[in-house]
Amino acid sequence: MTGDELLTVGAVAYHPRVVTIWERFRAYFADAGVPTDYVLYSNYERLVDAVHSGEVEIAWSTNTAFVALERRLGREARMLGMRDVDADFASVIAVRRGEGFADVRELAGRRLALGSRDSGHAAILPLHYLRRQGLDAARECSELLRFDADLGKHGDTGDSELRVVQAVAEGAADAGALGDATWAAFRAAGVPATAELELAWRSPTYCHCTFTALPSLDGALAERWRQALLAMERENPTLREAMDLEGVRRWVPGERGGYADLFAAVAELEGVAA
Amino acid sequence: MTARARRLDAERLELGGGLEVLLQAALAGMRPGEEVEVVTPSRAVALELQGWSRVEGHAAAEPVALGREGGGVGPRWTVRVRRGPGRRILVGEPPAFDGVPPLRGDGELHTADWRATGPAPPPPARADPRAGLVPLGALPEAGGPPFAWRLHERDQVWADDVGELAEQASAQQWDASRDVPWAAAQTLAEPLRRAVADVMTFIAQNEYAALYVPAAFLPQVHPAYPEALMWLAGHVHDEARHVEVFTKRALLAGARGHALAATQLSLRTLLDERDFTNAALLLNVLGEGTFLDLLRFVERHAPDPATAAAARLAHRDERRHVHFGVSHVRRTLAEDPDRRAQLVGAAEERAAKLTELSGLSPLLTEGLTIMAAGSLRPAALSEGARAVRALLATMERNRIRRLRAAGFDRAAARRLSELHTPNLM
Repeated sequence: MTGDELLTVGAVAYHPRVVTIWERFRAYFADAGVPTDYVLYSNYERLVDAVHSGEVEIAWSTNTAFVALERRLGREARMLGMRDVDADFASVIAVRRGEGFADVRELAGRRLALGSRDSGHAAILPLHYLRRQGLDAARECSELLRFDADLGKHGDTGDSELRVVQAVAEGAADAGALGDATWAAFRAAGVPATAELELAWRSPTYCHCTFTALPSLDGALAERWRQALLAMERENPTLREAMDLEGVRRWVPGERGGYADLFAAVAELEGVAA
Repeated sequence: MTARARRLDAERLELGGGLEVLLQAALAGMRPGEEVEVVTPSRAVALELQGWSRVEGHAAAEPVALGREGGGVGPRWTVRVRRGPGRRILVGEPPAFDGVPPLRGDGELHTADWRATGPAPPPPARADPRAGLVPLGALPEAGGPPFAWRLHERDQVWADDVGELAEQASAQQWDASRDVPWAAAQTLAEPLRRAVADVMTFIAQNEYAALYVPAAFLPQVHPAYPEALMWLAGHVHDEARHVEVFTKRALLAGARGHALAATQLSLRTLLDERDFTNAALLLNVLGEGTFLDLLRFVERHAPDPATAAAARLAHRDERRHVHFGVSHVRRTLAEDPDRRAQLVGAAEERAAKLTELSGLSPLLTEGLTIMAAGSLRPAALSEGARAVRALLATMERNRIRRLRAAGFDRAAARRLSELHTPNLM
């Protein structure tokens, strides 16, 4: 830290646009009287290390990274806010047109494609919710096709989800899991692989990315930063581009309850591994 | 959620297949917090609406199965979408659209009419130099990158009839490959062959300068003055065609014309001019004005119909360019009489750079004389030389007349004409 109150946010460089986003946000926070610098990491494991060790005060975390941090801390981290799009997030399952199902148990004996194994929305949570609804996909599906295209980035790139829908469209898989926001983006962009697919299932909702900090971060400073974040307005022309690139229309307070299922899912994974 | 919501029947539409268009159209007319109930026969479509709505800044409730309610032939689902608070496009409240542009009797639509009677406003006296590429009448969205238009004041570029001149330029386009009877150009013998090659090369060389000067101003003109842009674009296009047609005529002469250093020197000083109005005086009024008389001479004394056609077609364009120059300079002087000294200064400065030019190049004088004479017979040459002397006198007389029309008094007009380059342009 170069000044008494300079905060540093760590984020993962899942795309070159992350630099554009944080350069703009950095200028915004300076104007808002909460000087903030940023450091980019190539993967979320390094980012969790960095916030845990105090190298950065705040981490812009995926849900999976947030869960990893709290599990490592053994107590609650500070949640400083999330995008509006992170609340009520869901995973979906796409199938070829006309091959939908009403009950997830119909997927038994079929091939299921999943995104990167560290992606909450494209792998961990779909498997968790399917299990809750009566399908142990790892055992009952004839095959799990995993596309670990962006390991370390927790599915941020969308690349593994593109492989998922392509696998289903090409017939290599019968169903594929991805985030509902990614599906909407693919459909809006006219991604050819989605043209002959449709959704058969939508998971319960959960929360996705969140700004997190150690509980030891000065409470008043954290609150000032949080207030500045929540005050960002997409109506402000100088912020609009960066907010659009980040996929946020407004920042909203974090919601701890939105991560309970992921905690459970990660614990289950550990049980499987053990 | 409120009890009553507008109902939107999606029929068989899905996202990416037109449903998003239907939804955006419905949401555009709604206030934040208002709801629309989307009805679809497809469970798959109902499942994708929540993600789409969230990404678009709205909120959608869980799909509700309707069964066969409402007389449908199969099961249906509804999804309630609540409009979010944001605007899709960052524009202010648009002013009322004030009528439609008037058409002329023959169905033509002219920008000038649109300006005169609305809904387009008159050209602003000064436009924001940072503003972006906003077509006339369009609503600018905030947040675009800043521009830096150098020519962002109306008086810098305007002529009262610039819109109509641009219309004329569009209407009078021609084709240098097809509109000239090239077959008639292939039969010249010496000495006409060499004379035509040199005269045509000289003209083409000058047309290059006439091309580069407006082209350099084009990207400096603020988008709020589209008539000026259309005018300059037409000007550039005209001159490119002039380069083409005179180059072709020179090539067909069967001899290599000379691109003279003195001509380069004169034209180079024209390209150095950075002020739009100075350039309009030096290029349009003085240079192209003088060329009007030259082109008329070439047409009259052309040895073949192809040369005559090239000169005639180019003359028609140059008349427009001269008209613009006179009109722009006259407007400038009327708005700001103090500009007179600056304009004379620009001509003096240019003349100072051209002190080594003592007169029209002998090669060109000889070429024009031979064209007018048609042969090297002394009697014919005598007639040819007389015609060239008359041309130079006509050029001077007309230059002064044009300068007077542009708003200079008799003395200033004479002075400017004398300062004009012996290279003609």
